[in-house]
Amino acid sequence: MEVLKEKVEEEEEAERAERGEKMMRPMEVRKEETIMTREIVRDLERKLLEIEVPIPEKPSTFTKDAIDISKLPLSYQSNTPKEEHLLQVADNFSRQYSHLCPDRVPLFLHPVNECKVPKFVSTAIRPTLMPYPELYNWDTCAQFVSDFLSSVRLPDPLKPPPYLYSSTMVLQYQEGNCFDFSTLLCSMLIGTGYDAYCVYGYGSRDLCHMDLTREVCPLTMKPKEVVKEEEKAPPKKYAAAAEPPRGLTSRSRRVQRPTPCTACGYSTQDDHFLGIESLWNHKNYWVNMQDCWNCCKDLVFDLGDPVRWECLLLGTDKPLLSLTEEEDDGTNDDDDVENLGKEDEDKSFDMPCSWVEQIEISPEAFETRCPNGKKVIQYQRARLEKWAPYLNNNGLVCRLTTYEDLECTKTLEIKEWFQNREDMLELKHINKVTGLNIDYFKPGHPQALRVHSYTSMQPGMDRVMEFYETARVDGLIKREETPRTMTEYYQGRPDFLSYRHVSFGPRIKKLALNGAESNPRPMVKITERFFRNPAKPADEDVAERVFLILDERIQLRYHCREDHITASKREFLWRTKGDSKGNKIIMTPDMCLSFEVEPMEHTKKLLYQYEAMMKLKNEEKLSRRQAWESEQEVLEILKLREEEEAAHALTISIYDTKRNKKSKEYREAMERVTHEEHLWQVEAQLDYLAPFLAQLPPGEKLTRWQAVRLKDECLSDFKQRLIDKANLIQARFEKETQELQKQQQWYQENQVTLTPEDEDLYLSYCSQAMFRIRILEQRLNRHKELAPLKYLALEEKLNKDPRLVELLKVFV
Amino acid sequence: MNRLCDTEPRVMDEEMLRLAVVEQGPRDEAGQLAKQEGILFKDVQSLQLDFQNILRIDSLWQFENLRQLRLDNNTIEKIEGLENLTHLVWLDLSFNNIEAIEGLDTLVNLEDLSLSNNRISKIDSLDALVKLQVLSLGNNEIGDVMNIIYLRRFKDLRTLSLSGNPVAEAEDYRLLICAYLPDLVYLDFRRIDDHTKELAEAKHRYVIDELKHQESRMQAQLEDERARCRELEEHKAAFVEHLNGPFLFDSMYAEDVEGSQLSHLPGVDELLQTYKDKFVAICLNIFEYGLKQQEKRRVELDTFMGCVQEAIQEKQEQSKAKIAKFEEKHLLSLSSVRDDSELTNFEMKMAEHSEDLAELVDVLMTLEMQLVEQLEETINMFERNIIDLVGLFVENVQSLMAQCRDLENHHHEKLLEIAISTLEKTVKGELDEDLPDAVRSLFVDKDTILNAVGASHDIHLLKLDNREDELVTGVNSWCAHLLDKIHKDEIMRNRRRVKEIYQYVDHVQSELDSLEFSDLLD
Repeated sequence: MEVLKEKVEEEEEAERAERGEKMMRPMEVRKEETIMTREIVRDLERKLLEIEVPIPEKPSTFTKDAIDISKLPLSYQSNTPKEEHLLQVADNFSRQYSHLCPDRVPLFLHPVNECKVPKFVSTAIRPTLMPYPELYNWDTCAQFVSDFLSSVRLPDPLKPPPYLYSSTMVLQYQEGNCFDFSTLLCSMLIGTGYDAYCVYGYGSRDLCHMDLTREVCPLTMKPKEVVKEEEKAPPKKYAAAAEPPRGLTSRSRRVQRPTPCTACGYSTQDDHFLGIESLWNHKNYWVNMQDCWNCCKDLVFDLGDPVRWECLLLGTDKPLLSLTEEEDDGTNDDDDVENLGKEDEDKSFDMPCSWVEQIEISPEAFETRCPNGKKVIQYQRARLEKWAPYLNNNGLVCRLTTYEDLECTKTLEIKEWFQNREDMLELKHINKVTGLNIDYFKPGHPQALRVHSYTSMQPGMDRVMEFYETARVDGLIKREETPRTMTEYYQGRPDFLSYRHVSFGPRIKKLALNGAESNPRPMVKITERFFRNPAKPADEDVAERVFLILDERIQLRYHCREDHITASKREFLWRTKGDSKGNKIIMTPDMCLSFEVEPMEHTKKLLYQYEAMMKLKNEEKLSRRQAWESEQEVLEILKLREEEEAAHALTISIYDTKRNKKSKEYREAMERVTHEEHLWQVEAQLDYLAPFLAQLPPGEKLTRWQAVRLKDECLSDFKQRLIDKANLIQARFEKETQELQKQQQWYQENQVTLTPEDEDLYLSYCSQAMFRIRILEQRLNRHKELAPLKYLALEEKLNKDPRLVELLKVFV
Repeated sequence: MNRLCDTEPRVMDEEMLRLAVVEQGPRDEAGQLAKQEGILFKDVQSLQLDFQNILRIDSLWQFENLRQLRLDNNTIEKIEGLENLTHLVWLDLSFNNIEAIEGLDTLVNLEDLSLSNNRISKIDSLDALVKLQVLSLGNNEIGDVMNIIYLRRFKDLRTLSLSGNPVAEAEDYRLLICAYLPDLVYLDFRRIDDHTKELAEAKHRYVIDELKHQESRMQAQLEDERARCRELEEHKAAFVEHLNGPFLFDSMYAEDVEGSQLSHLPGVDELLQTYKDKFVAICLNIFEYGLKQQEKRRVELDTFMGCVQEAIQEKQEQSKAKIAKFEEKHLLSLSSVRDDSELTNFEMKMAEHSEDLAELVDVLMTLEMQLVEQLEETINMFERNIIDLVGLFVENVQSLMAQCRDLENHHHEKLLEIAISTLEKTVKGELDEDLPDAVRSLFVDKDTILNAVGASHDIHLLKLDNREDELVTGVNSWCAHLLDKIHKDEIMRNRRRVKEIYQYVDHVQSELDSLEFSDLLD
């Protein structure tokens, strides 16, 4: 078995070595000719096993020199004894491994960190729970890592890098290779409670390079899937290794493994995973002893199986995951927790704590997400662009463009997602082929608009508007328009109206002069339908009424009784002309044709029919009025939409104190007030008696004599200070005056010989000196004025001081 | 008009009513129509007869649909003749000479009643007016506060006026009313503010609490009574009423003079006790079994009804769909026929129509026939099931009743033994116990005592037979009635549907004919 496996690996390696050079070329080709079939590509990939081509034009921005090592914490710069011990264990393990499996690539055990200190890979995982709930799911978390970091290729795609930086560093520079991606994702997933692992193995080229160009964009349809690599795994025992790097994390026991690079979850059996060398989490390190000739399809991820997985720290790991893929995730997680606990008890040597500092992502960085807030992903026939919120002033955060051809020259459709729009626009869908635009709105548009699909913003064209009917007084759900009709659907109205259809005739030409607005299309027919009104008997509850306006005819159809199959009908048509004798006809039996399922007596009366007809005539007027109002509303909405599109104002939450001006001012004002209050408090706490009280023996009660003396001392001391201050000002004043006099004297003596520059100098000195003297004079005067007041104020205060007041009162 | 001049009492006759109806009827064009057609009294909804000097209410029986009636400012002395106006909502009888409230027992829809400025001294006879909201009794002669308690039963009463009555002269009249009628909103045309309500509540709390307590006790009693009635109804529906206890046993002895006399014999007491225990146990058996069977019959009936409804509903939907389809086509071509001037075309279209119509009738009738067959089958099946159920029930009850009879026979034998041994003792003069004289008189000779025992036995058996008969006839006639009704209902349904179909078809046909006719005229 073992032998067999190794043989295969050998072959593979040989093949790889052979074609190593050539491979690079086909890849280039591939980029240009995307038409190559997937089979060919896969074939190539298989052979190449994922080569990561270092990209020269984009060198890593944080090479070692760029980093100021001295500022890094001590744990970054040195190893603890325990870590040293671990490194020795790892070395030993590595030696045994290379001895037993000489043809597998060396293990990726202890790369150096940014301070050039070798660190064991497991200790680079720093499980951290982030304060953002969005990161609590593996998929969104992987998506975040994929967005947040930009990818740097490995220097040698066939070998693991010699270094592995801390996640803190990676986050700071927002850049990393696949190992950095994996380590960071793994840290966050473990912190959240997932059982995640970093995997070192081979993936397809696309997966490793985050090259999605050949993939169908997942947003466009049911995703085919994106390529990348990833991982999951479990294991045990020891083994040998492999090749191009690829670190991955995955949650074990899940059939899905998220790849940090593309953020898509793949099954561990996915074609994109070509092989696994080893995998690790923050507790242990396992080497895959299974054969990867059939990619990862046959791998068994039972880390407790010593034949298939060799672990580095014996004792530490119980079969952490004896997972089979069918196992339920929930229960597994629980098991893990228990197992982890047990391990701690009975292990002989456990993994040292991580040397990495706590991972932190600031809210600003979290919101900005992608480096610089922008990211473009190219898919097969599609392009996805992402922006951070507020980056675009129209609120655009995401745009998906799909193309007809592989070269991406003919646009099929564009989808744009918006955030924080004041008009609540959420998604704009533009179909370039049919010219159909569909705007989707979130609840809260001033006109309760939900969906608006149109080909042109001109009124009277084909258009469908859907509304949030509960937000509208009239309960309108949908309004469809064509050049000759308008159909409205309602719900939840007190008059039970459910549907109104209006047919228009052609516009009358001569009125067109007055402009379109005052020339509504003439209505030919209005059809209205109603829901059943349970308060009325079915025979009197109209289900549908049709106003044939030109014919002067009204047709009514009533609801059907529960146990009947036919419904009553009534038709009114009135003649405005008089009869043959010229008398006005009020009502004749032939003006109302009725069909009644259960004939009723009172409806036969002309009076009843007349009254019903009069009522209907009124209602016809109302319906026409409402239809006209609907037309006006459409115009209004279109106008409003145009204005909104032009203004595209964004809303800013009042809790967002950085962007919201008012909130910001308010916050700053609050801060200022707090600060001032603080200062005032400090001042209030100054105790003018403290220095004097300190001279007295502590803890004793003051005598009256002492109190009096205390007060006197305090006052005299204050007096002295006032005098000192006056003297000080006086002294400065005199000094300035003398200086000025000296200068004046000097000037008068040398006036003749002075150059203009010196003179200027002198003049400016004079004006400054005069200013200082004047200020000093003012201060002195003010001091003289205030000093007695201050003195009196202090005395007053002392008299009222709670510590002295009792004693002094008697005295006073 | 006659308001000012006439002082003589007038009679309320047809003429007067007709005048009033026309005068208050529709105006203008509608009025012309009304005149032309005449107005039926039963179509009138509102009538105003004030200032007419009417002495007696009369001739109103035709106004079945009257909602509003104003009879104020007359000289009416008695409320009468309003029995037929059951839809009346608004009645004004103010400014009359009425002394007692009466004659309103059928006006269950009345919401607004005005009796102000009369001579009423007592509020009563309003029990039927459960929807009463507004009651005006101002300027009457009501003096007793207790009248207000009577008003507590009107849960919807919101407006009351009582000013001008002796009762309103009391000092805390407003507070009193508010306390007794806490749901009132307006009193004497003024809104009652919250403050007044609070004051009233505080002041009269004890009286009101007492009142409430009484009312709730009465209410509870009433509910108990109702619950008992309901339960009895249920038992009756199961035909096992009064079998859940010793009622039947007791009733056997209720008319049995000899039996109660014989119970004084030594040893009979214990015998009677065991007999009763066993007998009651069997009765309980019957009772529980009866309830179970009743539930089974109910479920069976519900299932059956559900199935029938479903079948009817389904066919109804199919028929509706057919009609809708036909109408769509019919309407479209009808309008095209209207526009079509060419005669041949027209005739062709008309022919097509008639064909379609015939086809529709065919389809609808076929559906109905299918339904009839389907239902017939279902009904027959149900009939078999329910008869089986009833038969089983009767059989089992009879066997249980037979057990009762066995018990009775057994008891009878024992009693006979005791009686004979007692007789022997009596004959021998050994009887030392104190027996009542009536009992002692039975033991004069053997025939007498045997007759007495036998008579008691016969009475018991008769009771048992009667009860059994009652149960069996009850359940059988229920079953027969039910089936009869189901059959009749189905026949009625079928007739209605067929009538509906033909009515519809006739209508469509006549529409076509009229089109043809008018076309020919043109």
